[in-house]
Amino acid sequence: MSYALLKRSLITDLDTVAARYPDVPRLIILKTDVQRRGVFYADAALELLDETLHQTTGTHIFGARDGKTAVRPESLLLRDGTSIITTPTPLEEDPYVVDVLDGDAWLFDNGTPVEPVDYWPAPAYYAKKSRSGVPMKHIVSARPQRLNIFPYRYCTFWNNAKGCAFCDIVVQLKKGRDLLNIPAKLDPVEVGEVIGEALKEQGRFSTIFLTSGSITSGERPFDDEVDYFIALLKEVGKNFRTHKYPSQMIGTAFEKEQLKRLYDKTGLTSYTSDLEVLDEGLFNRYCPGKREWIGYKEWKRRLVDAVDVFGYGRVNTGLVAGIELAGPHGFQSEDLALERTLSEAEDLARQGVSTVFIVWSPRPDTPLGKYKNASLDYYIRLARGLHQLRIKYRLPIDHDSYRNCGNHPDTDLSRILPLWESEL
Amino acid sequence: MTGELLQRVGGLLAEAGTIATIATIDEHGAPQSVPTPFLQLDEAGRLVHLELLETSSTHRNLLGSIWFDRPVSVTLSGRNDEVLVISGRVYKALVSGLRFSRFYRKVRSQLGDADLAAVWLIEPLKIHDETYQVRKAQEETFHPFYFHLDRLVIHRDSI
Repeated sequence: MSYALLKRSLITDLDTVAARYPDVPRLIILKTDVQRRGVFYADAALELLDETLHQTTGTHIFGARDGKTAVRPESLLLRDGTSIITTPTPLEEDPYVVDVLDGDAWLFDNGTPVEPVDYWPAPAYYAKKSRSGVPMKHIVSARPQRLNIFPYRYCTFWNNAKGCAFCDIVVQLKKGRDLLNIPAKLDPVEVGEVIGEALKEQGRFSTIFLTSGSITSGERPFDDEVDYFIALLKEVGKNFRTHKYPSQMIGTAFEKEQLKRLYDKTGLTSYTSDLEVLDEGLFNRYCPGKREWIGYKEWKRRLVDAVDVFGYGRVNTGLVAGIELAGPHGFQSEDLALERTLSEAEDLARQGVSTVFIVWSPRPDTPLGKYKNASLDYYIRLARGLHQLRIKYRLPIDHDSYRNCGNHPDTDLSRILPLWESEL
Repeated sequence: MTGELLQRVGGLLAEAGTIATIATIDEHGAPQSVPTPFLQLDEAGRLVHLELLETSSTHRNLLGSIWFDRPVSVTLSGRNDEVLVISGRVYKALVSGLRFSRFYRKVRSQLGDADLAAVWLIEPLKIHDETYQVRKAQEETFHPFYFHLDRLVIHRDSI
């Protein structure tokens, strides 16, 4: 008998929560809970893993919750096409278990089979090497419909120990370099070539995505980061017959002139800059580098400026949801945290900036790693609240949708946002 | 689901002149029916519907069906007036992978510069034979009170 079935119970916590939110799809509640609690792969589930067919872990800019670098499924797909982006988690932390039922991979909760899952399919280019001999998947990684470029695996906020309190980018950089030979900084020409190779696979990719750690240097702060992104996007753009192509970049909050440069000189079509937490005091505490170089209010102002450059519904900010409740400095109740977060999100939404969240995954090598993330109810209420703001302010979120990202329960709900163009 | 009716579904889908439509309902319960020209039956006995547009009403309704367990139905109309109506539940949406890519290439080989949003798999739950001659015979056998009497009148001039 499998590990999962040994612990079987009849009613899951998921069912209890799902009953409270009949307007939220059970599949999205499940995704959120799996991201919240993580997964543990039983041996039988790992035996189903075939590196020629499935993506495996190891290419990411952030680490796993169990701190290991090992061959495991990169992530999971649910029956509705929803991605679950989650990390392997030690059994002691009560994760969902991926095990085998009738020959197929299933998610189990406390021994009860909950849903069948597919491992992310491996793209064809994953088997190839780049011109410098590096496996292409270490230059450009993939999601089910997205190409990921993580060009710079360092963040200069860490130079004076002011990196974000939930972030393990530097620890992961070292692991990637030592264990997988992943270059810390990518050559734009090589990136463009790998993208070209990836695009030979028809019907696979819908968007190009870039993100890196912040680079504070330059004539103006962050000019070097902007210039590097421009060089990368220009090389990527050589693969397309149109100047603009579906794309998203998560960068630092740039000045308007820098944003214009990015938009005018490249094919970039959307822009994301993460505030991480929507409260100035917590932002200052948990993101000291962002505070030092830009500040909370200025970050918000630059996001609004970006709407002038990229367009309404093409700019958003991301939250690491749950850190606002962590530890002694967090909000004392989920109601207070929700009220504050949605109030700030509304202030941004009325100015054309959308807010999305990822479920915070406490990582062992981070200052906040010892705390737990929020309740499932909290994340569902947050997802509903952000989705409702998009409806209220008629804010599309196509560029950060289930296809183009897949990491946000709130934008999963927005798969059925009203189609405002039908009113024209 | 197995059996003779499912075999007839496969047979009808294999015929060139068959017209297939898929009917879905939206969040308010309003029905919508559109042609599904690429419809086929897969090896597991599921209907395969190709949805080309991410923002089409049918795609959004199918998503609503898999999220909230709303039924869907597919109607097949054959060249010889044979009509089968299949009611079912949405089982899965494929959005990536080898099988998706095969259908993507198929769509583009037939339509040129087209896209594919999802491959929807629909589990048939019930198949009704709605062929007029079949239903007419059933109705006349089991519901003999629903005739217009003039159909039974003896036409003297034809004697």
